[in-house]
Amino acid sequence: MDNLIATGLIGISLGSQYALLALGFTLIFGILGVVNFAHGGFYVMGGYVAYYCSVVLGLPFPVAVLAATLATAALGWLFETLILERVIEDHQATLMVTMGFYLVMATAILLLFGPESPEFSFPITGVWRAGGAYVPYANMVVIGVCLAAIVIVYWLIYRSGIGRAMRAMAEDRAVASALGMRTRALFPFAFALATGLAGLTGALVTPILALAPHVGDPVLAFSFLTVILGGLGSVAGATVAAFIVGMVEAYAAVYLGGSKGALALFVLVLLILVVRPQGLLGREVRRA
Amino acid sequence: MALRAQRAAIGALLASVTFCGAGSACELKIGAPAVLSGPAAQWGIALRGALEFVAKETAQERRLVIGGTPCTVSVKAIDSKYTAEGAASAMNALAADGIAVIVGPVGSPEVTGMKPVALRNRMVAMVNSFARDSIGPRWPNVFHIGPGPSGWAGPIIDEGRKHYDFSSVGIVAPNDQGGTDVAGVNAEIFKKKGVGVVEEYYQRGTTNFAPIVTRVLRSNPGAIDLASSPAGDAGIIIKQLRQAGFAGPIFRLGGPGFEEIARVAGGIEVLKDFLWYEPVAMDEGLRALEKKHQDLMGAPRPENADFFRWVFAARMMVKAAQAAQSIDKPQAIADAMRKLPVEDENIGKGYWIGQQFFGINQEMSYPFAIGQVRGGKVQDYIHAAAVKEN
Amino acid sequence: MSNQASITRLPQARRPALLGGYEWATLCLVGFAFAVPVLTRNPQILSQTNLILIAATAALGVYIMLRMDLMSFAVPAFMAIGGYTVAVLSLKLGVTDAILLGVAAFVMPALCAVPLGWLILRLKGVYFVLVTFVLTEIVQLLLFEAAPLTGGSNGLVGMPAVTLFGIELMDNSQVLLTTAGLAFAGFTITALFTRHFRYEFTAIEKNDVLAESLGLACWRYKALAFSVAAGVSGLAGFALVNMLLTAHPTSFAPMSSVSYITYTIVGGKGAILGTLAGAALLVTATDLFALKGELSPGLFGLLIIVVTLVARGGVIGLAAKAAGRMRRASPAAPARVAPIAAVQARGVKS
Repeated sequence: MDNLIATGLIGISLGSQYALLALGFTLIFGILGVVNFAHGGFYVMGGYVAYYCSVVLGLPFPVAVLAATLATAALGWLFETLILERVIEDHQATLMVTMGFYLVMATAILLLFGPESPEFSFPITGVWRAGGAYVPYANMVVIGVCLAAIVIVYWLIYRSGIGRAMRAMAEDRAVASALGMRTRALFPFAFALATGLAGLTGALVTPILALAPHVGDPVLAFSFLTVILGGLGSVAGATVAAFIVGMVEAYAAVYLGGSKGALALFVLVLLILVVRPQGLLGREVRRA
Repeated sequence: MALRAQRAAIGALLASVTFCGAGSACELKIGAPAVLSGPAAQWGIALRGALEFVAKETAQERRLVIGGTPCTVSVKAIDSKYTAEGAASAMNALAADGIAVIVGPVGSPEVTGMKPVALRNRMVAMVNSFARDSIGPRWPNVFHIGPGPSGWAGPIIDEGRKHYDFSSVGIVAPNDQGGTDVAGVNAEIFKKKGVGVVEEYYQRGTTNFAPIVTRVLRSNPGAIDLASSPAGDAGIIIKQLRQAGFAGPIFRLGGPGFEEIARVAGGIEVLKDFLWYEPVAMDEGLRALEKKHQDLMGAPRPENADFFRWVFAARMMVKAAQAAQSIDKPQAIADAMRKLPVEDENIGKGYWIGQQFFGINQEMSYPFAIGQVRGGKVQDYIHAAAVKEN
Repeated sequence: MSNQASITRLPQARRPALLGGYEWATLCLVGFAFAVPVLTRNPQILSQTNLILIAATAALGVYIMLRMDLMSFAVPAFMAIGGYTVAVLSLKLGVTDAILLGVAAFVMPALCAVPLGWLILRLKGVYFVLVTFVLTEIVQLLLFEAAPLTGGSNGLVGMPAVTLFGIELMDNSQVLLTTAGLAFAGFTITALFTRHFRYEFTAIEKNDVLAESLGLACWRYKALAFSVAAGVSGLAGFALVNMLLTAHPTSFAPMSSVSYITYTIVGGKGAILGTLAGAALLVTATDLFALKGELSPGLFGLLIIVVTLVARGGVIGLAAKAAGRMRRASPAAPARVAPIAAVQARGVKS
């Protein structure tokens, strides 16, 4: 029984991490129609910027997290305006450039910071315990930030003028620009928002787990799984799916073991797709 | 595709040039398939660093003199990407350069991929990896840089049982060759010593180990062994084991990387009770080697401690070339190697072993060390004598 | 470019040529690989040609699916099925005949692709991309879980050399001959297949809903293509396993699918020659970059970005454009519905 609850708590922690990552991934797809292969790169970069600010420069941790968010958002903005924008109409080309950019980012980080993990720990270390169940305080912070981020993204997309414009752009770029919307400003904004979220996640999660140049690789696979499950481009779907993936991963790993657990997760996603090809909460699929 | 024809022509030209040119300058060419990118890059960087150091040392101290002519050593390291094809392709590139003396690679998949190429091109090689088939009678000129857990797991477990009382152990390792081979050998040795074993494998690429930790703790083991889990992973697992309330001793019967494990785990206090295999003991001999590297190369040695073992391997290769009086006859170098005593000026003396485990007596065994953290305090290394087969 | 022009000409030419210019050129180039071992014994050139051919054959799986605008990450999965089939046959049953093994390496993945295709071909666009990615991850885990058959994480080691008419093919140049044979088979199958169904594929690529409504049974062509793509990938898997004398899970890593897609797109997905050109260019580049150690993935990434930005339509697209400019050909402006009209003109098969 203790195990059952402990596993559920682990699932929630995992789910909140995945939700933060999947939000950005699904935003980029929903609005720009781009599968961002560089998403994991922004996650790692967020971790290293936060590390540099807090450990090397000695800034307070919250400031470092903010710096990481802004830096990754800024790089996302630049990448969108300078490179991605040129090929935005061709989905295969966008895939190529984001993939290429990920390789460049990973190499740059390896050269700047070396291959080994630096010492980078979350400033709050305690663990909350009740019987066999436990949650590290750091994970509670991540869960809190995750909920806040979901609320903010929701508000931005569904309640603000920018959000309406972005959704209009997602529907039809040509018509939206003909109506006077500023494509040139909105796409980079959406991209920066998403990469900033990835950077924020990296800044918060890498000190809980580990920071190394390659920790972005699995991020991509899990973002894939989450958005497939939730329905591409659907913010609500990504959120729900993230927690499902977290729960399934936790319970499957605990009760089936590491590699059988992963197998169970993948097969589950495949089956759901066969039954509901548009994902759990996806409606019309953007054809890209 | 004029390109290919052109390349073929250029290649043929080059091949003939090297053929004519051989013999004039005396240069031992050592090739290294070394992982230089991705998560395992630090291992390959240590290998390359060791080779470059030995090359310079050999030339400066005239350690390789053939027929009265002092020889130089050149090093060519090619990224083998920690994959079988990467290593195979790197080896072919080295073969094309007329290189027949190989030191490296690091990992099991790479060793798997490079051995057929070494065999086809009749090369002599000194490889690493803890795989069950790292070396064997089918690859007569492939040597092994050092014993796997079959050699040193026993003494470390004995050391642990002196200080801690446990009757069961949970072994956690990644579900690929690098993980399962070592975990399997460790499990056998624990069982031989009367310790109950639960093996748990995780998917390579896992970043959050909380579920795996929960699973392995369900059987309530008295100790944990992280086998050859990569240092970064091992650090997170330890952090999460302690968060989950596990208080027993933790072994890492896998490989070096203690500093990185401690950094990721969040400090020595988190490790609390921790024992690991340290391939070489940090003593005066090694500190002298460190200093020599600083003096000779003008930079500190690569951080990964495998550097020392690769220096040993490269020096053995140079000695074998010296004994064989040849820089380009791999068969002669291999024959000379078998007759050399296992000995290094900085690391110490050892033996050739491997007949029992691999069926071929071509594994270098030399003194190693047991690292220990007890009650949150780092202890001095315990020197362990080179393991000998009887 | 040029094949679109030929599409508009179709109604006059009722029986299209067996193969087009690009196909012939490509097959000649692949065939030239048989001569490489005669011209040189340099292991580097043999090995590079070998790697290029394996990469190009694997990338054909991507090329075939891209004919219908489906981007497949499933190539490593089917390579694994083909490669492991060969390893199991030769190790456990003692089959070493190259032709028998080649047929098995094609048929086994092609058969596996039928039920899988039924499951996933209803997905479109990005969903297809992501699901094929998941599929490759699943196959990787299955290789580990099915240890008694696949050797688990250690793979299957120590296969005997393949034989052709009883002659052992063991050394560097003979390994290249085996690869060249497999690549030639893969390219011939792909060229004939994509050429034969080119109107159907183009119709599906341009607008599958319209094609379907006009009576083209899209799913049938998609399933057939998925199966052939799987078979060709299986041949590449055989070639890779034969080169390494080992069937090892790391040879079929899910992320390697990214490379195969890159070869096809950077080379130019418009023609089969692009796949070969892309593989030749990028495998050579990878090899040069490997000397730069840590920098190598970054340089590769930079190359991908530059080619994508500069050469739309890939290397072949760029070359065709340059050639077109030199000939000052009048720009052909094919109508969007042309392929569909072409299919109708040919008589709808359903």
